[in-house]
Amino acid sequence: MIVVNRSNPINELSFDELRRIFLGTRSHWPNGRRITLVMREPGEPERRTVLRDLCGMNEDQFKNHFVHGLYTGEILVSPKILASPVGVRKFVFNVPGAIGYLRVGDVDDSVKVVRIDELLPDDKGYKLRMQVQLAN
Amino acid sequence: MNYFRTIRATSSACRFNWRIDVKKQTKFEIKRRSRYPMPRVDRWLSAASRHNAVLLLFVVCCGVTVIGALVIRDMQQANTEAQKMYKSSVNGLQEIGELQYDAQETRRTTLYALTTTDSNLQVEYADQTRDADRRVRNGIGEYGRQAKGPEELALAERLNRDWTAYLGVRDEVLASILEGSTSEAVNLDLKGGVPAFERVRQDLNEVKRLYGEDASREQASLAESSRRSSSRMVGILSFTFLLSTAAVWAIQRSQMLGRMQLANLQMEFVASVSHELRTPLAVIRSAADNIADGLVKNMDALLRYGAILQHQSRSMGELVDQILLFASTEDRKKRVPLQPLPVEQIIETVLSDTEVLVRDSGFTLDIEVEPGLPHALGDLAGITQCLRNLVGNALKYGGADRRILLKAGAFVPRDKFPGEVHISITDRGIGIDSSEIVHIFDPFYRSPRVHASQIHGTGLGLALAKRIAESMGGSLTVFSQLSAGSTFTLHLQIAQGDDLQMPASEGRQSRMSLT
Repeated sequence: MIVVNRSNPINELSFDELRRIFLGTRSHWPNGRRITLVMREPGEPERRTVLRDLCGMNEDQFKNHFVHGLYTGEILVSPKILASPVGVRKFVFNVPGAIGYLRVGDVDDSVKVVRIDELLPDDKGYKLRMQVQLAN
Repeated sequence: MNYFRTIRATSSACRFNWRIDVKKQTKFEIKRRSRYPMPRVDRWLSAASRHNAVLLLFVVCCGVTVIGALVIRDMQQANTEAQKMYKSSVNGLQEIGELQYDAQETRRTTLYALTTTDSNLQVEYADQTRDADRRVRNGIGEYGRQAKGPEELALAERLNRDWTAYLGVRDEVLASILEGSTSEAVNLDLKGGVPAFERVRQDLNEVKRLYGEDASREQASLAESSRRSSSRMVGILSFTFLLSTAAVWAIQRSQMLGRMQLANLQMEFVASVSHELRTPLAVIRSAADNIADGLVKNMDALLRYGAILQHQSRSMGELVDQILLFASTEDRKKRVPLQPLPVEQIIETVLSDTEVLVRDSGFTLDIEVEPGLPHALGDLAGITQCLRNLVGNALKYGGADRRILLKAGAFVPRDKFPGEVHISITDRGIGIDSSEIVHIFDPFYRSPRVHASQIHGTGLGLALAKRIAESMGGSLTVFSQLSAGSTFTLHLQIAQGDDLQMPASEGRQSRMSLT
């Protein structure tokens, strides 16, 4: 599920907005804070899910996208890479403009869960299902 | 017997009247005894003076023990106080030190995050700084709770406020670092973080200063109390020393006085005895010389000389007997076998024993005996000796009135009082001064007035009488007024049922059935 800092006034994002955020093309929140993208290391299930379902890219395409974007100035910062779900959660907790993806079991109330297209992960039709579990 | 005016019951009517009279007398006696409790106090005093060394030592020991306990308690108190202060000061300093360290740690770990671009490490540093700031918050809270006085309370509030302000900046700096905007983070820290942290640092220094003042105040009070306790201890020790010195001095002095007194008394005794012995000896010697030299020519003169010799040798014998008897009663633990004796028998024995003496002295002996008296418990020979001494004294010091009253009565047993038979000898002679009454039962004691009046004696009679009375489980008391006369009373135990079963002579059997 998508989580943001508790001080972030955003409660809901459209799938499209989310996609732009994760591709780095949207760099600021409506309140003016810079968006910081937090991701797991390449190969981790959460990252794979985001790349596949949200960005529609594989690892290389995603890398190229960011290298290109940074080069052209279209993208301001590359995503922060963290080694564990706890690290992701703590990062989001510490940085007001951070956004990340976590499994349901890794979320606690130090961070805020954002609805996607008015849906929560438990709701039917939530688009960011962890398909890894199926793959496994 | 015509020398004695015996008031013996002759008819029932007379006995009745006389009994009333005796009751009155008894009451009077009781009153007098209660109005004059000196004998008991005197006995106690003399016992105290006999054991004064032991008593003094006991008092000193008690004093030293109490003082020692006080000193130990004082020292323990001071020690506890010092320990408490040391502990609290160490604790307080440690807490303040930890607070300062944790505040620094909060800032330091925040800035450590600048040294790396690895988000994982940065998150770890973020964790560390948050842990440290939690500890600081707890420390500030604790300080606020323990704050004494408005100054510390205000400081605690200010510290809390400044710390919160710094944490606001810290969070921003941390966020910037994690976002990767290092220069922004440094700018933020320089602009907001440094001054905010400086305020916190000043607050913490203030905390330390206040604590130092508090501790030095406490230290001063502790020093004051320790000074007080040490001066108290010095005082107490000097008091103990003085007390001990005084006690040792008193003991030595009393022993010395006692020895001197005894030596004096013995000197007087020796002088008196040698005088008492020399007079009859001189008479005997000259009488014997006269007879031996053939100066005694006729029978009448010889008989006269014989009477002189008899009288003088008898008086010498009596003196020697007294001295020997006194020596034999020196051992106070020795008890004579006691038996129940009818009071009449005692009176009769005493009368026959002292008849000649009284007659020769030209005295009249009045006798009052309460009828139906219980048997007294005692030794007849002892009682007789005791009463003979008392009668002898009454004759010696009886004065011009030449009347002696011998009275016998009893107190019935009541409640806890076991009852007693008492026999008293009253004279109307020179009496005894109240200052001397303490000493009259001391062996060898003789009143200076008696010395002055050249009345002969050894100073053993009353001591002997008292010892005999005590050896029979009884006592001897005195009531006397100067120039009005003296009453010596021999108190004897009443014979109980068990004692009465002992066989007695015929004369007493009928008496026993009467009682």
